[in-house]
Amino acid sequence: MTTSTLTAPDAPAEAAAPESRRERRRRERREDLDAAIPVELYGLKRGTVSLLTACCVLFAIFTLVPVAWIIFNSTKTQANIFGTFGFWFARPFEFFHNFRMLFENVDGDGTYITWFGNTALYALLGGGGATALAALAGYGFAMFRFRGSKVLFYIIIGSLLVPIGAITLPLYLVYAKAHLINSIWGMILPSLVSPVGVYLMRTYIRLSVPRELIDAARIDGAGETRIFFKIALPLMVPGLMTVLLLSVVGVWNNYFLPLIIFSDNNKFPLTVGMGLWSQHATTSGDQNLYPLIVMGGLVTITPLIILFLILQRYWRSGMLLGSIAN
Amino acid sequence: MSGTAVTAPARVAQARARPRHSAWVRRRDRRGLAFVMPFLVAFTLFMIVPLAYAICESLFNSRIIGGTVFTGLSNYTQILSSGMFWSGVVRVIIFGAIQIPVMLIIAFFFATAFDLGVAKYGRTFRTIFFIPFAVPVVVSALMWGFLFEPVYGPFSHLANLFGFHNTDFLSSSLVLPSIIVIAIWEWTGYNSLILYTALRSVPREIVEAAILDDTPLWKIILKIKLPMVRPAIVMLIFLNTIGALQLFVEPLILNNYSAGVITLNWTPVLYIFNTSINSAQYNLGAAMAVVLGLTIVAISVTSLLFRRDRGGMA
Amino acid sequence: MAAITLSKLTKVYATGVTALDGLDLSVADGEFVVLVGPSGCGKTTALRMVAGLERITSGMVRLGGRMVNDVSPRQRDVAMVFQNYALYPHLSVYQNLGFALENKKVERAERDRRIRAAATVLGLGDMLGRKPGQLSGGQRQRVAMGRAIVREPSVFLMDEPLSNLDAKLRVQMRSEVLRVHRSIGAATLYVTHDQTEAMTMGDRVAVLRAGVLHQYDTPRALYERPANVFVATFIGSPAMNLYEAALSSDGAFRGQPTVVLGSQRLDLPAQVAARVAAYQGRKVIVGVRPEDLVAGLTGGGGTAGGGTGLVADVRLVEVLGSEQHIYFSIDATQAAVAEGGAVAAEAAEAGILVASAPNGVARLDPRVGVRVGERITFWLDPARLHFFDPDTGHAITG
Repeated sequence: MTTSTLTAPDAPAEAAAPESRRERRRRERREDLDAAIPVELYGLKRGTVSLLTACCVLFAIFTLVPVAWIIFNSTKTQANIFGTFGFWFARPFEFFHNFRMLFENVDGDGTYITWFGNTALYALLGGGGATALAALAGYGFAMFRFRGSKVLFYIIIGSLLVPIGAITLPLYLVYAKAHLINSIWGMILPSLVSPVGVYLMRTYIRLSVPRELIDAARIDGAGETRIFFKIALPLMVPGLMTVLLLSVVGVWNNYFLPLIIFSDNNKFPLTVGMGLWSQHATTSGDQNLYPLIVMGGLVTITPLIILFLILQRYWRSGMLLGSIAN
Repeated sequence: MSGTAVTAPARVAQARARPRHSAWVRRRDRRGLAFVMPFLVAFTLFMIVPLAYAICESLFNSRIIGGTVFTGLSNYTQILSSGMFWSGVVRVIIFGAIQIPVMLIIAFFFATAFDLGVAKYGRTFRTIFFIPFAVPVVVSALMWGFLFEPVYGPFSHLANLFGFHNTDFLSSSLVLPSIIVIAIWEWTGYNSLILYTALRSVPREIVEAAILDDTPLWKIILKIKLPMVRPAIVMLIFLNTIGALQLFVEPLILNNYSAGVITLNWTPVLYIFNTSINSAQYNLGAAMAVVLGLTIVAISVTSLLFRRDRGGMA
Repeated sequence: MAAITLSKLTKVYATGVTALDGLDLSVADGEFVVLVGPSGCGKTTALRMVAGLERITSGMVRLGGRMVNDVSPRQRDVAMVFQNYALYPHLSVYQNLGFALENKKVERAERDRRIRAAATVLGLGDMLGRKPGQLSGGQRQRVAMGRAIVREPSVFLMDEPLSNLDAKLRVQMRSEVLRVHRSIGAATLYVTHDQTEAMTMGDRVAVLRAGVLHQYDTPRALYERPANVFVATFIGSPAMNLYEAALSSDGAFRGQPTVVLGSQRLDLPAQVAARVAAYQGRKVIVGVRPEDLVAGLTGGGGTAGGGTGLVADVRLVEVLGSEQHIYFSIDATQAAVAEGGAVAAEAAEAGILVASAPNGVARLDPRVGVRVGERITFWLDPARLHFFDPDTGHAITG
């Protein structure tokens, strides 16, 4: 049976052109505007908005002061770092010289570049591995109800209460017995354990992987591993990215563990290396280490900041998980 | 999908309705354990084992003469009566007691400002505020060390301009406030973001209802939104407390700029570190770690209970 | 002076979407007006603009004659019941009810009196100490209403307050809402997507679609004289049957106008013919409500001298007990409101895979024996036929 319709013809659909980043930002800002309650409804006194914006600017300045300082001073010689005004450049402009120095082994402490490579290695392997384990464990806790799962989960979360010293220091002794001292695996393996990651993944999976989907797949005869990889995993991706980001950052910034287990300079990550430089800079003041420390600091934080800016939406949604408390 | 889904729910409902776990369901649940197993293995090896080892070690003492000897709780009695250890504990408690509320108030202030949309360019500011989270603590301590450096650092110059001559931000009297400033720098953005997200999840209609009820803004913020984000605040207090009590990196690095100010026992973790590594008294260090751990548990748990009893902030 | 007057009220969002386009409406004091329409039609937007929760793009809102476009919602003296109730979860029922009064600095004694009065009206007396989390959906809904009542406002706004309740409770609460309305007596603007609620509750009903008002009338008028095909199919369930037809003048009696419906002809009496005279010889859309198709126990049953027969093949019979729905097909072309009107959708549900799908519904007395596959003759009163222009969809009124 045919049906006919009665209306004016529909307006031609807008061709969906891919959005540029600026367009997307503008659209997001407009959506924010629509989603927010209009400001005037709050009954604020005039000038409150400007006052609050000023506060934000002040705090933004406060936040950026060290970063600005590091940028300016990475271009200076040691004398100038201490001699000239901290928040502007000075002659000579030593940025590239300082940068090149990072590739050299300064006073036997080790080469910055080596440390950088180490950090990247530990962070990627450790962070990636932590994410994988957290995803599996989170899935197990979210989708299955086995004996003791609740208790086990609380124990895992409870481990956050234990001070790092209580775990890391004896770890050194354990390593001594297992010949793991000074080994990269000694750094990477413990980094695989992320209780926060398990918590976040479990929360995220509960929210985004519908139980019915899994049950339907089971009825259709799929095995559990297949279900995990083909069905659940694609749905978990945003949560995975968040946990990955947090794990990588966590390992990148880890200081205590590598401090204890590494004695070989070449295995140091950036944190330990920089700490060592800082120590030597004061004890043997001649070394001209300060420009290197500053430049090293700059190079250390730049990749992470860039990563953060690129992956903004992931840590935003991650914060959403973080605030849905226990 | 619609074809199979019509029959599937019936069978699943049947399976769920069965009184105790059938063999099929039990087998499936065990597979859940398989998923958790890789994490559990790593967890046991790298958290439980060292912890157990620490507790064991704390009951012994290795001497140069006589080797390792079981000494029971003598390490613990030594610590509990040690002024050095407890002065460090008191110091971090003071540190936390000041830093955490100040930081949370600032974080809540900005989170609210963003949530209400009263600060323009909220997204940009939030991103900027979050940058310190991407900075390793070591690097942040290094940077701030330079800034606070008593002789050549910019902040000393600024203080001179304002008439405060010869302020040494890293002197033993000012170093703690300086570290508080550093900690606030490091953590406010993160806390603010979590609070902001929590505030965003307050249903819009409730705020609209409050507006229609002619509720003044301060009341909306303190009496409606704040109580509704209590779980997030509790979690943040919890996390921040655990972090504050384990203060370690900042004093360690700052010591390089201002020798002697940070003593061996300045914070508990520093003391544990120095005892275990530098003095090689592992047993004593292990015992200290256990005591510190129990102290942290005690403080965290009491702060949680405190919040729940009060039934809300303020 | 009307309690609420909307003049050319328009709302365009920052993203460019036009939610409401030039709405004109007025609500008298004590009147219960319903805004109804499918989702996205702008009814909630209109309500929120009356409340002051949405910025007005253009047009005016007047409350009690006073223009309130720039007046804050705090000063408008309107109370609103939200779809999700919007109760303060950490406050008790008593505190929820009294919250607004506290803000207005009402004295404790008076506050208490009003709270208890509202609680009594709504049957919440023994729940005052509980928190919303401990209440059922229906109880929460009543607290939401109570919160609005205690303020003794001049205007009540309700945004689909019954949508979150289950079907039985909804029917119960309909009369509750009306009872409360009558005891308070304030003008009420009520939003819903359910046409049954609209018809049973409203003194007048405004039908909206895609931001545009289609008709604003009493329920009876909407039912008997729909302004266009959209209103015709939106009001009434099952929806009106619509078909493409043509008017010609070669009826049984020479020159009598008839409706050509597929292979069948329906004779039109004089008054009806006069109404549609302008469309003589042209195509029209003809609508017949399922309840106007009769198949009598005696096999006939049209009105004396009037009534005409419509022959159809029965495809499906739905027995409801109190009535039965007969899905049939005739060889006329079915018409539907664009983007799938009610008719097309129902036909689809009844069995798309069958080659000869039904294209009409009739509501019959349950005692009439009808079998699938039968050929049945319905009797209908041509005066109850509805005619619409095939291009604009507007009703032909002559």
